[in-house]
Amino acid sequence: MVEATEPQYNEYAIEEFLVRSEPYYRPVGDEMELFTAAYEQHIPVLLKGPTGCGKTRFVEYMAWKLGRPLTVAKDSTAQPLNEGEVRVPLVTIACHEDLTASDLVGRYLLDANGTRWIDGPMTRAVKTGAILYLDEVVEARKDTTVLIHPLTDHRRILPIEKTGSIVEADDRFLLCISYNPHYQSALKDLKHSTRQRFISVEFDYPPADVEAEIVQNESGCTSDQAEALAKLGEKVRNLREHGLQEGASTRLLIYAGRLMSQGIKPRRACQVAIVWTLTDEAELQRSVEEVVTSIFE
Amino acid sequence: MTSNSNNDIESSLSQFPPAVLEAFQEASEAMDSAFTEEEFNLWAKEGVSIAGQTVRSWESAVEYYKVGSHVARALAFPSFMQWARCGTYLAQDSPALAVAFFKASPLIVGNLRPQYIPRWAGLGRSLYKGTWKSSTLSAKFFEVSPDLIRSLPFWDVEVFASLIESLSYKSYDVSMECLVLGRDVLPAMGREREAFLSMCRALTDSNWREVKTCLELAPRALQQIDEGQTGRFLKLGERLAKTGLRETAKFLADGTSTLAQIPQTSQTHILDLAEGLLATSPDAVAPFLKSLDIVLNRITMNQLDTWYQHGVEMLKENPDSGIAFFKIESTTSESMLETLSSSLELERVKGVVKLYCSALSGSTIDVLDTQELVNKNIGWVDEDTASTDGTKVFLPPIVDHYPRKDENFAWFKVVATHQVGHLEFGSFNFSFEKPAACFEEQRRSELELNQSERQAALLREMGDDAPDISDQAHAYTDIGRFLNLFEDRKLAFDLFTVLEDCRLDYRIKMEYPGIRTASERVQIEARSGRPEIQQLPLQQALVELLIQMSLEQFTDLMVPTEYKDESVMLSQILHTLRDVRANVEDTTEAALRAYEIIHRIENKEEEEDQWQPEDLDDPGDFSEEQYESMLDKLNAGQQDGEDGEGGEGNPYESPEPVDYRGDFKPEMVQLLTKLQSDKGESGEGEALSQEQLEQMLEDSAELELDAEQGDISNSTSMFAQNIMKEAGVPPPDSESGEGYGPLLHDDDQGGELEAREPKAYLYDEWDFRADDYKPRWCIVKEKVLDEGESVFYNESIKNFSSLLNHVKRQFELIMPETFRKTYRLVDGEDIDLNAAIEAWADVRMNVPPDEKIYWRRNKIERDVSVVFLLDMSASTAEAIDEGRNTVDDRDAPDDPVEYMVWLRRRREGLVRRHYKRIIDLEKESTTLLIQALESIGDTYGIYGFSGYGRENVEFYVIKDIEESFNEKIKRRIDKITPLHATRMGSAVRHAITKLENQPSTRKILFLISDGRPQDRGYSREGVEKEYAVHDTHMALQEAKRKDITPFCLTVDKSGHDYLKQMCGDMSYEVLDDIWALPERLPMLYRKLTM
Repeated sequence: MVEATEPQYNEYAIEEFLVRSEPYYRPVGDEMELFTAAYEQHIPVLLKGPTGCGKTRFVEYMAWKLGRPLTVAKDSTAQPLNEGEVRVPLVTIACHEDLTASDLVGRYLLDANGTRWIDGPMTRAVKTGAILYLDEVVEARKDTTVLIHPLTDHRRILPIEKTGSIVEADDRFLLCISYNPHYQSALKDLKHSTRQRFISVEFDYPPADVEAEIVQNESGCTSDQAEALAKLGEKVRNLREHGLQEGASTRLLIYAGRLMSQGIKPRRACQVAIVWTLTDEAELQRSVEEVVTSIFE
Repeated sequence: MTSNSNNDIESSLSQFPPAVLEAFQEASEAMDSAFTEEEFNLWAKEGVSIAGQTVRSWESAVEYYKVGSHVARALAFPSFMQWARCGTYLAQDSPALAVAFFKASPLIVGNLRPQYIPRWAGLGRSLYKGTWKSSTLSAKFFEVSPDLIRSLPFWDVEVFASLIESLSYKSYDVSMECLVLGRDVLPAMGREREAFLSMCRALTDSNWREVKTCLELAPRALQQIDEGQTGRFLKLGERLAKTGLRETAKFLADGTSTLAQIPQTSQTHILDLAEGLLATSPDAVAPFLKSLDIVLNRITMNQLDTWYQHGVEMLKENPDSGIAFFKIESTTSESMLETLSSSLELERVKGVVKLYCSALSGSTIDVLDTQELVNKNIGWVDEDTASTDGTKVFLPPIVDHYPRKDENFAWFKVVATHQVGHLEFGSFNFSFEKPAACFEEQRRSELELNQSERQAALLREMGDDAPDISDQAHAYTDIGRFLNLFEDRKLAFDLFTVLEDCRLDYRIKMEYPGIRTASERVQIEARSGRPEIQQLPLQQALVELLIQMSLEQFTDLMVPTEYKDESVMLSQILHTLRDVRANVEDTTEAALRAYEIIHRIENKEEEEDQWQPEDLDDPGDFSEEQYESMLDKLNAGQQDGEDGEGGEGNPYESPEPVDYRGDFKPEMVQLLTKLQSDKGESGEGEALSQEQLEQMLEDSAELELDAEQGDISNSTSMFAQNIMKEAGVPPPDSESGEGYGPLLHDDDQGGELEAREPKAYLYDEWDFRADDYKPRWCIVKEKVLDEGESVFYNESIKNFSSLLNHVKRQFELIMPETFRKTYRLVDGEDIDLNAAIEAWADVRMNVPPDEKIYWRRNKIERDVSVVFLLDMSASTAEAIDEGRNTVDDRDAPDDPVEYMVWLRRRREGLVRRHYKRIIDLEKESTTLLIQALESIGDTYGIYGFSGYGRENVEFYVIKDIEESFNEKIKRRIDKITPLHATRMGSAVRHAITKLENQPSTRKILFLISDGRPQDRGYSREGVEKEYAVHDTHMALQEAKRKDITPFCLTVDKSGHDYLKQMCGDMSYEVLDDIWALPERLPMLYRKLTM
């Protein structure tokens, strides 16, 4: 229930955003060990996998886990760090077609006294030693790769052309990108010279029992419903080769579960959260809907 | 000109009223110059003779002189005189006629060939019957003639005139009105005029009053139907008119408005039906057409046939009720519509069911009509029962169990779910060695051991060491091996079937609670059709008991008092399977135990008082000890029985099948799968010989080979051959190229080829099994496509003009984009001065400045070469419209009338091509694309490919990449036609060669296809479709390696499965709506090159 109260929100400077409370993440394989190892060794990480399978959540979780010695809520009055404490801020950037290099690095702004340089999120992350997470990196413009390259090899530097300076990355800095190889429309592809600067961790939708656990945990629906949703997810993903561009993601299953836990009828919840979201094609919709009506009463 | 003769004439004319002379004098000036003196005299004299015909014929003469000069301009003198004489004769009969004739003449002569003039005059004359009214009519005829003759062929005018004449016998008023109407209506008609006139003609004999209404209605009515059909429709009307139909006009109106509602493609069919009906009962035609509107709102065209046939039957028996049927005024008709409209055709939901099944099972499932399975003749014979062969689900073509469509669909769903259940829950994955989940002991292994020992002992005794063929054959599949353990294979198989179905139904109920309601309903219905247990002999009764329990009936079951404990035990066995953990191995264990019990009981009839009702919903857990002791007891009883009466039990008969569960043939499915996979790794393991297969089929309990169906050995051998074909194994005794099935003969043999002709190129081919190229494997022959007409090209441009404009605009936009500076950016090459100044001004005024003060130039120059590869395979001939089923001789009707209808339809099917084919759209798209490409200036080539066999890959040049666009290319497009097969790999490789030599920085290979690549021998050992896919994939990879961007566009809706494999990480698109091709293709290209 929404009550009429003052709107409440928190605002942080981008590099000060910390994952405070432990996000829910259910490891499926050895991805946690891999990521930790890569982090220690300064190896950039590429997360591959279909949409909504938990890539972003994983990065959040890892940021929290790696920075756990200090996850105190940070007041605007910055408290000095204790000796030996580390914090791992997380800078997430969703890439899009018009994302240019200067959006990442920074630009000159005009003010009363002429121009003023403002660091972009990437520069900030490099300086503060954050985990920089570039989501859907193929979507970004090609000139961003110029930035990624020197950051991801042994140099770990960020050249800032406009100011004529070079920033050496903080020791804790890690670049992490995600990429969805399933997009059929992807007329773009990640270049090999870029690709081969990362270790690739493949993600996929978790097995049904794990997924049921996740759905139940995240949505608060009953375990029966969660199991049925996981089953539905499995079945719908079988249609991926039959015209469905993407299978029902775990995220969608969770949405459906959340609706159910709010008392929406399961069939209806699945319809709005899954069937109609997945496709506009009538026949496919009908087919998925038939699967839904088979699984849910 | 002598004034003498002139004076003579003037003096003779002066005896008539002065108007005549005046007219003559007026005309003579003009005529003087046109005619020679002699001719002038003749002309003038003719006027005198006209004037002298009757008392009032001077009026005609006036008119004669008046129009003379006009007519003379169009006619040579002899014809002119002929015309004049016609007038004279008319004046003889009635001056009024002649006046009208002359008045009309100037407008006529220009349009009518001179020799027809007398006939035309004659037409008018024939309408004159000496009465006043007739002369008015005749005069009217001349009055309307100019209009008619201008736009109608003369013979139509003749027909119309004779129509008017025959009408005039009935009523002058009506014929007068019709004449006027005809003038307005007839010219507007096209080819159907003739038919229309002849229909009216027929009407004058039977129902002349209708003619006028018909004329009134015709223009509007006929507009509504397809031009090609009007002729037939009117013929129909004519024939109806001849049989004395009362309301032809109404028929015309109703019929056309009904037909207008129907898609053009179906109109022919409706007319076929109507004509068929005419032969049976003309009276029914009009009601039929009238009802059609309502009927087609409720049922489909296909269903209409059923309804129609039924009506025809009724007509034959009782015309009145037949007519009532077609009027939908009978209950039969109503209820039939009810059933038909609620029935559901598989065809209409196939797509949904297919996806549904694929989703559930996780593998690609095809959904087919059961008919197709039966046609394969590999052992399935029942056309109405659902089944599966492991990769396909077969469903009955139509469901009409319930009065509502959604209920019928639910039935489909229940049946399909059950069939898919076999796949999802592993009915066919039975493995002899795998342990069961719910039963503890592996009795089947024990049993087999016992049996083989026994057999070994037996063999030793007999001293016969010949290997038993049937054993070996049965052991070929795991199910076969299991069933082989039993003396009574049939009983064992029936038990296995019912228990497996029970397991599945329970599992489905648990996994898919959503269809519980529907499947319970189906189960209840299935129960109601079961025989009564107590009516059956004991063994069968116990099997029936299991069946009824499997249908969720646990209470109030009749069990034999004598074997009450056994019944409870059976129920315990069955209940063990009602567990989500139970697997198919459990079913076999359960079947084995049930068999041991039932087999020991004599199959004899029991008295009615020997039965008692029992509730078996909770019989307790199954226990091995109890089971053992029960067997002992039974063994003892059996001994007694044999000592006593000597088994006089009936032979065991299989129970009635449960309809919704369909035909379960695990042994066949395992066999097919095994045959297929064995063949993949040829050489390994012993392949099954045909004899073994036959032996196996003969013993199999799954085949119902009745003696009635012909010689058993014959049909098994046929089944065996068909099965081998189905599995893709060439039958040993068949010659290559014989029979159907996946390409049986492959040219795997043979080696490298040599290109001997000019313009022939050799390419390697990728063999994915060998993981290597086959060197110089294919010859690509490059040919320039023949030239046809440029009409197609121009027509397409006309038809797509609006789309073309759009596309062109889009393309033209690309060009400037590449050179234009983009201003006011937050970041760019340099500072945009204007913006900077503004910003600075803002700063000075203490206004927040705009940050966008940079400009940038898009420096990428467009330098693109592209090759388009068009699929010209035979499959592109496929019509895109919903397309009526192809007719073949098998469904030719017996009735001669229907046969004629059928034959006509078939012939029309051959010549007629209203529909569009895939290739037509490909052609149109190409046309559009050329226009677009020309506007942008990219280098492009367009090629088609097809071929037959590896030594003959045809590569047609439509536009070579270096050729500039010209008229020839327009004409070549016309000649793009569906040809043979598609060996995509080689075609792609040749296209690469074409592109490779281009200097452009960006090269694109655009492949447009309509389906899988396939060709004779384009597969390893002839069957693996993947071979072609892999080769094409490799070819595309090669392109990529050479910096060419490949892109595949397919219009094959089911393209996702293989395209994914074929294109790998390269881009492709599956076009769901083929009609979108012309629009989509240029857009895709644009996107690709931006």
